[in-house]
Amino acid sequence: MKILLVCSAGMSTSMLVDKMKKASEKKVIDAEINAVAESELQNHLNDLDVVLIGPQVRYLEKRIKECVEPLGIKCDVIDQLAYGMMKGDQVLDQAIKLANYK
Amino acid sequence: MSNKLMQQLIEFAGKVGSQRHLVAIRDGFVAIMPLVIIGSLAILINNFPPFGKFNFVEWMSAIFGDGNWQQVGGSIWNGTFAVLGLLVTFTISYNLAKSYNVDRLAASLISSASYIMLVPVTNDFGLNMNWLGTQGLFVGIIISLLTTELFRIFVNNPKLIIKMPEGVPSGVTKSFRALIPTMIILIIVGLSQSLISVLADTSIFEVIFTAIQKPIQGLSNSLPAALLVALLTHILWFFGLHGTNIIGSIIEPIYIPLVEENLSLFQSGMSAYDVPNIVTKPFLDSFVFMGGSGTTIALLIAIFIVIRKQKKHPYREVAKVSAPGSLFNINEPVIFGLPIVLNPIMLIPFVLVPVTLTIITYVALYIGIVPRTVALLPWTTPPIISGYLVTGGSWRGIALQLFNLAVSIMIYIPFVLAGVKTLKQRLGE
Repeated sequence: MKILLVCSAGMSTSMLVDKMKKASEKKVIDAEINAVAESELQNHLNDLDVVLIGPQVRYLEKRIKECVEPLGIKCDVIDQLAYGMMKGDQVLDQAIKLANYK
Repeated sequence: MSNKLMQQLIEFAGKVGSQRHLVAIRDGFVAIMPLVIIGSLAILINNFPPFGKFNFVEWMSAIFGDGNWQQVGGSIWNGTFAVLGLLVTFTISYNLAKSYNVDRLAASLISSASYIMLVPVTNDFGLNMNWLGTQGLFVGIIISLLTTELFRIFVNNPKLIIKMPEGVPSGVTKSFRALIPTMIILIIVGLSQSLISVLADTSIFEVIFTAIQKPIQGLSNSLPAALLVALLTHILWFFGLHGTNIIGSIIEPIYIPLVEENLSLFQSGMSAYDVPNIVTKPFLDSFVFMGGSGTTIALLIAIFIVIRKQKKHPYREVAKVSAPGSLFNINEPVIFGLPIVLNPIMLIPFVLVPVTLTIITYVALYIGIVPRTVALLPWTTPPIISGYLVTGGSWRGIALQLFNLAVSIMIYIPFVLAGVKTLKQRLGE
C-alpha cells in the first residue's frame, strides 16, 4: 500500500510519517509512506493508494480531491487531534480504512 | 465560534490558497529559495564579524590576500540574490504553465527572454544589474504572468499552429508548435519596450519600480504593516489554517526585496546597525515566529514550568510530542494537539504574543540596541542560532531572542494555568 501525506512544506507531515512507519512495522503491514509539499503532489501520483491531507491545509481539500480522485486514489483530511498528538497508528488506520472503502 | 464563520474562512483561504496566479508566485519563490539562501550565506561569510579574538575575515585575508577570497562569495551573490528578479520570472512562469498543463519550459524561457528584452542596457551595452535583482521583481512577476497567459492562449489556438503536409513526422510538427506563439509574444514585448523608450525615454522597470514597488515596500517597512502580517497569520492559524502558506504569495514579493537591500549594503561594508530596513522576512521568522507561529516554543516551556509533577498530564504529553519539531520551528503538533485551534483560552496569548514581540523587536531594531537583519536563513533554522546569524553574527540578536522568549513565556503562563483548570473541571464532571 502506498500512502502520501501532504502539507504546506512537507515538514510536519514528515514527522508523522516516521510514526506511521513504526506503526506499520508493528502491525506487519506492507506500506510505503511519504510526505510532500502540496506543490509537489502532482509529481508523486504514481501507484498511490491514499492521499492524506494535513489539517492545516484542509482548505485545499477540494482541489486535491479533484486532482487525485479521478485516478482512483482515496483522499481525506487527517484527523486533527491524531495529527496533533502524532498518533501514527491512528492515522495509519485511517488510511487503511480509506483504502478498503469501496 | 460559529460553524458558518469557520466554513466561510475555509472557503476564503481555499480561494486565496489555490488561486493559480498566487500559487504560481508563491511556488516560484519557494523554488528559488535555496539559491537565495546560499547567496545570503556567502555574504555573511564574507563579512563575518570577529568571534572573540578570532577574526575570520582578517585570518582569511592574511592567507589569501585581501579581497581575493571574497570573490568566491561575491560571485555566488551575483549569480543568485543579485539576479533574483530574473530567476523568479523563470520559476513563476514555470509554475503557472504547470498549472495550465502547457509546455513549462517553453513558457518560462519566453518569460525570461521577455524580461531581458525589457532590462535597460548600460552605455557600454551591458545589462543593468540593478534591474536583474529585486528592484525588477515586480516587473518580473507581471511579465511572467502576462507572457505565460498569452502563451497558454496562443498555444491552444489551432489557427496559430503551423500545419505540416502529411508525412512529416509528428516530432517535427511538435517542434514548430511553440514557434508562432513565441514569435507573437516576443514581438509584443519588443514593441512595448521600444514604445516606452522612444515616447517616454524611460523603461518599464523604472516606471513600475517608482510607481508601485517602492511605495508598497515603504509602507511594508513599518510597524503597522508588520503587525498586520502577524495578526493575519495568527488569526488564520487559530482557525487551523496554514497562515504563512496562505498569505505567502503576498508577503514574499514585498519582504524579500527589503532584506536584499540590507544585504547588499552590508556586503558593501555598511554595519548591520545602519542598514535601512527594519521589517523583513527574517525579522518575522527569527524574532516573532520562534518555534513556529505564535512563538509556541514559549508555550511549551510555559507548560513544562506549570506542570512539573503530573508527568502524564495531557498538556505535558502534547508538549513532549511537540518539542523536537519546535526546535526547528515546526509546531503543528501543539497547534492541533493542545489544541490551540478554536480554543478560546489560547486565542488571547496566541495573538498577543506575536503582536507584543513584533512591537518589542521593532523598537529594539529601530533605536539600534540590536542590529537589523542582514541574512536570509531557511525558516527551519533553530532559534538562538537564527538570532545570531540574521543580525550578521551579533550576540545582541541572541539576547533579543531570549528576551522575547521570556516575555512570551510570561504571557503564556496564566493561560496555561487557566487551561489546566478548565481541563480539570471538565474531567471532574
